[in-house]
Amino acid sequence: MTARTTHLDAGVRSALRAVSAAAKKGLGDPGLAELVQIRASQLNHCAFCLDMHLALARRDGAVREAQLDLLDAWEEAGDDVFDARERAALELTEAVTVLTGGTSRTKSGGGFVPDEVYERAAGHFDAARLAHLVALITAINSWNRLMVGRRIPPGSTEW
Amino acid sequence: MTTAETNTEYAAELPVRLEWARHAPEVYKAMIRLDSAAKKGLDAKLYELVKIRASQLNHCAFCLDMHTKDALAAGESVERIIQLGAWEESRHFYTEKELAAIELTEAVTVLTDGFVPDEVYERAAKQFEEAELAQLIAAITVINAWNRFGVTCRMTPGHYTPGQHG
Repeated sequence: MTARTTHLDAGVRSALRAVSAAAKKGLGDPGLAELVQIRASQLNHCAFCLDMHLALARRDGAVREAQLDLLDAWEEAGDDVFDARERAALELTEAVTVLTGGTSRTKSGGGFVPDEVYERAAGHFDAARLAHLVALITAINSWNRLMVGRRIPPGSTEW
Repeated sequence: MTTAETNTEYAAELPVRLEWARHAPEVYKAMIRLDSAAKKGLDAKLYELVKIRASQLNHCAFCLDMHTKDALAAGESVERIIQLGAWEESRHFYTEKELAAIELTEAVTVLTDGFVPDEVYERAAKQFEEAELAQLIAAITVINAWNRFGVTCRMTPGHYTPGQHG
């Protein structure tokens, strides 16, 4: 598979990198950051981002293998695999990713971010961490759009 | 809402959930930089249509308030804004270039239903040269990002003044 185009404004690339870096830093949990970024990339079907973030998650064992195996079915995986805080973050990731609602696989099938999903996240993350978590979900959604839109192949070094 | 001339009782305004920009100032600064970079070289009128359509699909009330007001202030017609929600049936309100951009906007916005179809991309590629098309994809991406902050943090629509954010 070849890319449709590898064009990307350098200013866009560097600014979005800054959004991602600031969000990740403010969240302060690299393992959870990878889980969130992988989950959003699954929902958005971004091969490039899945390839990149699965590699990062596996590097130095940043994320447990059992979590990567069961991420696509996290709701059915036991509490010993994903704890309440991780579940709240994943649930928020799904809601923020599937804003359009419709037929997509998520509890927020009607769009918006349901109050109960937001409140559960707010119960586990203080305002600053929550703001950075929302930013991280938004940033990976942005990378997903840039990569899927231009069909950048997974593993590609030119993007 | 600013409807002082009527006595109609509207529902109460929902409170903002999270002042995200105050809690994540570095993110906000980078988002502003991203926004400026993404709109470079794009036709402003076309970009407003893209922003309105993405905000409709993502149900972002705050962004709809901002971008419909900006579009009207820039001379966009009420008809073209209203018809945007049914553009497939009102193609004669728009140019072929605008239609290709709107169609691409939908595909890039609704990724969860699967990819960006080749025919959609090809139609856009016929109307935009390669660098401009990459810039359009970036612009669609950026309004999608603002929509996510707006909806998740429940930013309040109705108080925007055109041109407020340059």
